[in-house]
Amino acid sequence: MKNIYQPFEAILEDIIVETPTIKTFVFRPKLDFEFRTGQFIELTVPGIGEAPFTPSSDPGIKDRLEVTIMKAGKVTSILHALNKGVSVGIRGPYGKGYPLDNFEGKDILIVGGGVGLAPLRSLLFSLFSNIDRYNKVILRYGARTSADIVFKSSLPEWAKRKKVDLLATVDVGDPSWTGHVGLVTTVLKDLPVDIKNSVVIVCGPPIMMKFVNLKILDLGFRPQDIYLSMEKNMSCGLGKCGHCRIGSYYTCKDGPVFTYDVLKDIHDIWD
Amino acid sequence: MFKIYYIETAQFSLFFQALKDNYRVFAPLAKDPAGQEVDYFYQGVSGDASFIFNPYRLVEPLKSFFTPALEKAAEYFNPRLTLNGTFKTIIFGVKNCDLIGHKIQDFVFLEGVEVDTSYRLKRENTILISSDCADFKAVCHCLAWDIQPYPTAGFDINLSPLSDGYIVEPGSEKGENLIQEYQEYFLPIREAQLAARRVKRENLVKRLQQHLLPQDLVPKSSVQKLVRDGYNLDTWRQFMSTCVECGGCNFICDTCHCFLLADKKEEQRNARLRLWDACLYANYARVAGGANPLKTRTQRLRFRYTKKFDFFVDNLGMPACCGCGRCIEVCPGKIDIREVLKDLAKKLKSSR
Repeated sequence: MKNIYQPFEAILEDIIVETPTIKTFVFRPKLDFEFRTGQFIELTVPGIGEAPFTPSSDPGIKDRLEVTIMKAGKVTSILHALNKGVSVGIRGPYGKGYPLDNFEGKDILIVGGGVGLAPLRSLLFSLFSNIDRYNKVILRYGARTSADIVFKSSLPEWAKRKKVDLLATVDVGDPSWTGHVGLVTTVLKDLPVDIKNSVVIVCGPPIMMKFVNLKILDLGFRPQDIYLSMEKNMSCGLGKCGHCRIGSYYTCKDGPVFTYDVLKDIHDIWD
Repeated sequence: MFKIYYIETAQFSLFFQALKDNYRVFAPLAKDPAGQEVDYFYQGVSGDASFIFNPYRLVEPLKSFFTPALEKAAEYFNPRLTLNGTFKTIIFGVKNCDLIGHKIQDFVFLEGVEVDTSYRLKRENTILISSDCADFKAVCHCLAWDIQPYPTAGFDINLSPLSDGYIVEPGSEKGENLIQEYQEYFLPIREAQLAARRVKRENLVKRLQQHLLPQDLVPKSSVQKLVRDGYNLDTWRQFMSTCVECGGCNFICDTCHCFLLADKKEEQRNARLRLWDACLYANYARVAGGANPLKTRTQRLRFRYTKKFDFFVDNLGMPACCGCGRCIEVCPGKIDIREVLKDLAKKLKSSR
């Protein structure tokens, strides 16, 4: 009989240091594991606790799972101290994920902030593997400084792909950075997109999402075309424990990605 | 529909004694029977303890049998814990407010994305024997939510007390089977007995109506609009001022279902515990890194009300309050759910 609170085992195979506070963990699940891009997992540090993360790897890869994690709380601090070879637990996948069917034939504007690029990388891989279905992919990514950019070596590679238009910016420049300097909202002008035939996907810290959303609405994008990732206290992942409620929804089972037309009448969503 | 039976008082005692041989039986126990308003608690029945009829609901919520305050939810990587059927359990003393409130628990744990197997097994192995209320507590206000002080559905067996015994009404196969198992104790029902039940029920409803009339409670149909339109009123801040964040209202509530998961290491394995959680607690909605959408007590108090009167109306078509008044009795800050809703209604009316 299935126990919905019981995780299965995965082995931590590799650790990639992305920034001083962000690492990508490569796991080998001991059971078959599949997810749709945008869905999340509950990751357990045995005997310590679990926390929700959205995988950053290609959903097409079945035997490995990558999760890119910023050191932020109790579980993530312990994760950051783990060594290769140890066991972790996984439950999931949970949530609805990105509705890729809705993106077909459209310009896809992706706006990421900081470690928010992690789930977006999984989305990018999904889009790249069927790029013919989409008009184009425009990625606008902002990080605090050049040292805080995740997947740094992948960005130039993605920029060269067909149908992809990529621009990264940093809030605070330094001599090593030759690119754009300014908040991510400053690179949302003169976008090469057909606003009437576009979707916008935003993932980043709440304050960044709040202002990107305002900017995007201002540019004329429709609320139902804006996909926002909500960061709430998703504990059980199944709409039972109650913690991640926003309005009449649970972030875990009804999200964690919501279109803005669903969120716009709910109070305090960015808090 | 199931056939209704009658059981005389002496036979009922024998039936009650006999059940203990085959089931784990919980029944009401009166604490401080000399007190002004006697409180009843669930107690595991053993020996030759006799049955006590509780005229109104017990102190503990029914949920404590199905999602205990603390239980081991899982073991992992080297598990020993298995989900098996628990011992067959019979619970006496359940009232209609409990049964209505329990609809919320069933909705959360039996429906949705996945079923909570442990909850389902406990539910399947438990026989709920409810009973009509014969009296009410000062805080009882079921009628305000269109809930009657006698059960009509959701029970396995319902007992309606008459002067020399109980009307016994099965509400499920489980209940009917139990009666068949002990059929020697039961008599066929007579029309006069059903008529007597009707009179008793009507009289109690009338008494409760009279009790509630001066309270001028808000109607059930208005609550969703009240908490929505009243979102920014100062009602929340005002009532919050005496909240000490004890979580008592959450824990004692038969519809509150929130829990948290906490892990610990055991010798050869890892354990995951499930504990009741309370939205009145400061860290309830906090995420890694410290962001907290419910930073203030005002926000958390309001969250409790929007969950009950907005979320559940949207998702289940009913408010998650059964008018049992447990949260009113338990609150050291004297926060009264009836008064909060009335305050919203009053302020919204005057602002119009």
